[in-house]
Amino acid sequence: MNFNGSILLVDDEPHIRKFISLLLRHLGVKTIFEAKNGDEALEVYQREKADLVLLDVNMPVMDGIDTLRGLKKINPDCVVVMLTSLANRQTIDAAAKHGASNYIRKDAPFEEIGRALAETIDTCFEPEGPDAGAPPAP
Amino acid sequence: MDDSQKTPSIDLKGRSILVVDDDRVNLKIIGGILRHEGYEITEAASGEQALEVYAEFRPNLVLLDVVMPGIDGFATCRTLKKTYGETCAPVIFITARNKADDIVMGFDAGGVDYLTKPFRPKEVLARIRTHLSNQLLLEQLSKANAAKDRFLGMCAHDLRNPLSSIRGLAELMSENAIGPLTGEQREIVHTIHSASQSMLQLVNELLDVATIEAGHLKLAKEPTRIADIVVRAVHLSNIEAAKKSTRIELVNRTKNPMIDVDRIKIRQVVDNIINNAVKYSPRGSLITVKIHADDASSGFSVSDNGPGIPDNERHKLFKDYGRLSAQPTGGEKSTGLGLAICRKIVEAHRGTISVENNPGRGCEFVVRLPRLR
Repeated sequence: MNFNGSILLVDDEPHIRKFISLLLRHLGVKTIFEAKNGDEALEVYQREKADLVLLDVNMPVMDGIDTLRGLKKINPDCVVVMLTSLANRQTIDAAAKHGASNYIRKDAPFEEIGRALAETIDTCFEPEGPDAGAPPAP
Repeated sequence: MDDSQKTPSIDLKGRSILVVDDDRVNLKIIGGILRHEGYEITEAASGEQALEVYAEFRPNLVLLDVVMPGIDGFATCRTLKKTYGETCAPVIFITARNKADDIVMGFDAGGVDYLTKPFRPKEVLARIRTHLSNQLLLEQLSKANAAKDRFLGMCAHDLRNPLSSIRGLAELMSENAIGPLTGEQREIVHTIHSASQSMLQLVNELLDVATIEAGHLKLAKEPTRIADIVVRAVHLSNIEAAKKSTRIELVNRTKNPMIDVDRIKIRQVVDNIINNAVKYSPRGSLITVKIHADDASSGFSVSDNGPGIPDNERHKLFKDYGRLSAQPTGGEKSTGLGLAICRKIVEAHRGTISVENNPGRGCEFVVRLPRLR
């Protein structure tokens, strides 16, 4: 995968963070930040300004959609991909409405997760593409 | 039947009965007999009063006289059934009108039983006991069924995420993501992977069944071209099929009308049927997927080289846990839930799913979905 940026991974379940972060490293991502809830996600994002946020939908206290809105308030161009375990149409639509770029099913086989991630990165971080508004990869 | 084989008797003490009769003496006699049995009794002296008392008292059973001034017993029963529908308590008529026509009218009005006066107390008690037992069992059954679905859903939900992490981590290890593995380590990782994979599939299917059974299958329909879903499914399934040297070929892809479906759910149906074809066909088979359309419907069919469906097992095919005698040819697992889920999804779209054996070998599954107009 051709991506040199940093990723913030937000999920309340440690085993998911372990799995996804190992997957990201395997795909060649060098810089990964982790957060275990919405509050922590906003705090880490404020500090680190990750290029891409992978955000769990289902979290206690502040759920994925609220966190997404918080992230967009900090940076309207923030690229967020939702992590879902059940592809629930309503949730997917709600996330899209609040500016999520895509969603990935974290229960998919890892090749499929990798492919979905690569697709998103290709569309959101086209280096010299027509979509000049997209944040450039550092 | 000797005593040791008797089914355990159901405790009906405290179940409530509404006794309706315009004759005070009758009310006293019947009420006395029933109270003696441990039932809780409320009385009403007319049809109108019965409706009022029913609303407040909500009895488990109604014992209803037919001939009364004001609205008669049949009309009272009809009103109760109309007002309370499925949840209405069983109504037993008790009356001096004993012609066959009267009895039929009583059942027509919605009564579950019909007793004639002069009544024999033992008969009255036996019939009441039967209907109260049925009613209580039905109540318990529907509660137990709802609890089962809730439990299944909760259980499946909480097992899914950890299982998918275990599977994912095992996949990554076998890709040498944490360094090279020895032969034995690779074998162990492979076992962890396939065990968690089949558990995950079972949990997913149980969750689907629980969702559907609880009536929570919600379709998010959108205009879709069936070929878009099928092409993608064929592409992905070919990767898996290649492990068995099986090839999946898509024909007729030019036919591509619009249908109004929940894409995620229909994709699940397509995946399931194609995967079944791969699962039950011998290694090195050719599986043919066709897209078809006529004026009213559009859909797809999947033709395989498996053993086909034996006539005497056909009735089990689309039922929950309906495993047939055919065995997967590559050691794959089967839960017997996949096709039952497919049928429920397709029927929720007002479509049909069917299967025919091919003349030579194998069978063809056909799914038809109504076209968008």
